Amino acid sequence: MKNNDLCRDCGYTDFLGVECAWPSNASLGPSRAELAKRPQRGRRFAAIAALMLALGGFWQIGQAGYIHAKAWLAQALIADAWSRTRDGERQARPWPWADTWPVARLRVPARKVDAYVLAGANGRTIAFGPGHVFGTAAPGEPGNSVIGAHRDTHFAFLQWVRNGDLIELDTHQGRTVRYRINHMEVVDKSDTRPLTQGSPRRELTLVTCYPFDALKAGGPLRYVVSAEEV
Amino acid sequence: MNTSADRTVHLPDSPHNQRIARGQRFVDLIAYVLLMFATALGFSVALGGVVLLLASPASAAQSVEAAQIAMKPADARQGTLLFRGDQVASFAVPLLGTEVDIQVSGPLAHTRVVQTFSNPSDAWYEGIYVFPLPDNAAVSRLRMRIGERVVEAEVQERARAQATYQQARRAGQRAALLEQERPNMFTTSVANIGPREQIVIELEYRQTLDYRQTEGAGRYSLRFPMVVGPRYIPGAGADDEEVGAVVAGARIDDALRISPPVLGPAERVLNPVRIRVSLDAGVPIAELNSPFHSVQVIRDGERRRRITLSEGNTPANRDFELTWTLAAGSAPTATLFSEPGEHGRHYALLTLMPPAPFTTAARLPREVIFVVDTSGSMEGESIAQAREALALALRRLDPADRFNVIEFNSDSHALFDDARAASDANVQDAVRWVERLRARGGTEMAGALDKALTGKDRGERVRQVIFLTDGAVGNEQALFTLIQQRLGASRLFTVGIGSAPNSHFMRKAAEAGRGNFTYIGKVDEVKTKMSALFALLEAPMLKNVEVRWPAGARVESWPARVPDLYLGEPIVLAAALDTAAGEIEISGDAGELRWTTSVSLADANPGTGIGSLWARQKIDALMDRLNTGSSEEEVRAAVVPLAVEHHLASRYTSFVAVDRSPARPAESRLEGGAMPTNMPHGWDHQAVFGELPRGATDSRWHLLLGSALLALAFALWLAMARRTDNSSLAH
Repeated sequence: MKNNDLCRDCGYTDFLGVECAWPSNASLGPSRAELAKRPQRGRRFAAIAALMLALGGFWQIGQAGYIHAKAWLAQALIADAWSRTRDGERQARPWPWADTWPVARLRVPARKVDAYVLAGANGRTIAFGPGHVFGTAAPGEPGNSVIGAHRDTHFAFLQWVRNGDLIELDTHQGRTVRYRINHMEVVDKSDTRPLTQGSPRRELTLVTCYPFDALKAGGPLRYVVSAEEV
Repeated sequence: MNTSADRTVHLPDSPHNQRIARGQRFVDLIAYVLLMFATALGFSVALGGVVLLLASPASAAQSVEAAQIAMKPADARQGTLLFRGDQVASFAVPLLGTEVDIQVSGPLAHTRVVQTFSNPSDAWYEGIYVFPLPDNAAVSRLRMRIGERVVEAEVQERARAQATYQQARRAGQRAALLEQERPNMFTTSVANIGPREQIVIELEYRQTLDYRQTEGAGRYSLRFPMVVGPRYIPGAGADDEEVGAVVAGARIDDALRISPPVLGPAERVLNPVRIRVSLDAGVPIAELNSPFHSVQVIRDGERRRRITLSEGNTPANRDFELTWTLAAGSAPTATLFSEPGEHGRHYALLTLMPPAPFTTAARLPREVIFVVDTSGSMEGESIAQAREALALALRRLDPADRFNVIEFNSDSHALFDDARAASDANVQDAVRWVERLRARGGTEMAGALDKALTGKDRGERVRQVIFLTDGAVGNEQALFTLIQQRLGASRLFTVGIGSAPNSHFMRKAAEAGRGNFTYIGKVDEVKTKMSALFALLEAPMLKNVEVRWPAGARVESWPARVPDLYLGEPIVLAAALDTAAGEIEISGDAGELRWTTSVSLADANPGTGIGSLWARQKIDALMDRLNTGSSEEEVRAAVVPLAVEHHLASRYTSFVAVDRSPARPAESRLEGGAMPTNMPHGWDHQAVFGELPRGATDSRWHLLLGSALLALAFALWLAMARRTDNSSLAH
């Protein structure tokens, strides 16, 4: 019985029924060159996978670093805009195309916190600094001023503050208002009581996401710290 | 495969050398990892800096807009939209279903609204429901039905009616109270709905329908509102001198009464409404249209139609509108209804279509000020409609015209410091600015109106203010007063935007502003509605309308003075007279022509409810006196006897019905109260009620994921290195 697998051109019309002089490739087994290459291919694959994983890792860490770098770098740029604001410039923009401007400077001496508060508390603004919620009393003015920021950048310190801690707020007119924390609570984001206006006293409400150690953003809970002028 | 040993690098295999090789590799690894972290960190910082400095050309464009916005920190205050958020989730009882029957005959409509309050629980309940009605509705009857028993309500002075109701409520008697909060906003309170019981409230009202003639074709429109959108209650802006003194009166007392709880975004819509319209136009109908609801129409001859909702019922979350165009040539120029009253009195209602004014004079250049509401209630579909309407209107301006655009929410901002010529470049600027408008914040309308009505005197120029809003405010009265005081030579035109505009505001603001109003309920309508408005703005008006009643007759007709009429608007008069015969002669300046016509009282059709419509008109006129400085006491004293005589609900009179038989045992508690309403269709819950700022980033997640990936890469690298090691060692 002829074994077609072992012989080249066995279906050929001139085939005589004897073993071919040239064995087929399949019957020869791996060539020397191939034998030398094969383990290397596996290694290369592993190397590429490792590289991809490393790149992905870099990218992710880069993202995290970007968020923090933005938060930190922007404050440096805002410092300049703030000094211009103090000199009387209205809506001094920290960089030419910014759609926000510093409205106050927030300090918590006990926590070594010092940040410039920007106008507006939308996602775009609070990436750069704490944002003053549009429509609430201007920072340092009578009424309830609400300021929001990220729990993992500018307002990370809120998890350590306690009742009685002091917050200082510099207004753009150069006045410093001192507030004392008197209440802390966790509420749902749709509970707008913290935004309520109407008190004649100077009040400050700091809002950030809760819980502080959550990995991802977008949870429904908010941590609300209320303070009243001393 | 041990053949691989053939081609691997040969290391001297002394144990010492092996140890050195491993140590080197370890150091290499550490160095690599450190380098990785350092690079990643450096990279991210650099990236952060670069992005910060170069990113988003889109926001670069925005700075132009923002630069023109002069926000003063001191007036960034706002009032409150009263909302008791958490209580909404736990209402459940009582439930409400509404049935509406509308009978239209010619220009009049008679509507019966049946509200069924049912209590599926075992407790005793009270239901308080805030709902809208057409702003010109003359509510003349209220009945309470408990099973087979019917209690007819009586009209009492508001405070007395409230006391009657409260007393019955405490005594455990079933009672119903209907109060008017605004001419288009009412509250039904029903007390002591027993366990598994239903109480049915039936109310009836009459109204005249809105009629316009465009290009010879007469068109009626019927609007039945179903939901009161959350209203903005302005805060104390009184100390802001720049806004003007009138704002001081802006605080309103009944804020809580007009702010029912509103359903959260996740909750299912409530309050199903069933609508049936039986329409008799009096003349052949050419076209019938329901723009917002799908309807089933049964034709009954040329003049009659029966209309029902295709889906049986609809959630009460937007206005129902029905318009019908009369067959060409059949639109009547005058319709007159009369009804005999008490003491030999006769009531008459006249609708008269004047001829289109004619003029050969060139069109005067105009100064058009557009005011657009960009408050939170406009977010969603409404702002899209407003933007579209504005862009269209801007492009229609003539280069000889001047214009400006003002947007307002908690503050108002003008596009230009002063009105500018409508040159191509300026219009393009404006269109771009308008396209970027976003809706957020409060509705401080007074400041915007003040800005719009303050302008330099332009001599010959006609000054027109076009005001696009949903009218979701609670301080209507103060705004009407402001308009009346500041109007000067300007004219104010309101464009009601969205699914549930405040019709009372639209009509009365336009009246005080001596302009006109229109509605846009969806983007498809923008083009036709704005074109119609522009035709109206550009056309000459019918002026100096005079009405001469039959000689010797004692007549009291409303409105006392017929306003100047815009193209296509009819003259509508309601009169009480002591005669049913004689001629009414009406004349006016139609452009360059003096026009006169007369109608004979003897030809009047008999009508029912003309007396209530007349009284309603008179109450309307009396209420308008509040705009011009009359005191509330004075107006109340005039309104109360009139409303009681004609059995009408008004701001100062309410309907109250009490079933004397005691129902609730003294030991059972009464639960319930304010019933939730739907959010109007297309409104954005978050934009209206606000939300606490979001305060977290994904940085930790990124860091974790990144570290995990790097660890994995490291492990893989380690495994590879070890295998190389092993294979070389195996040799």
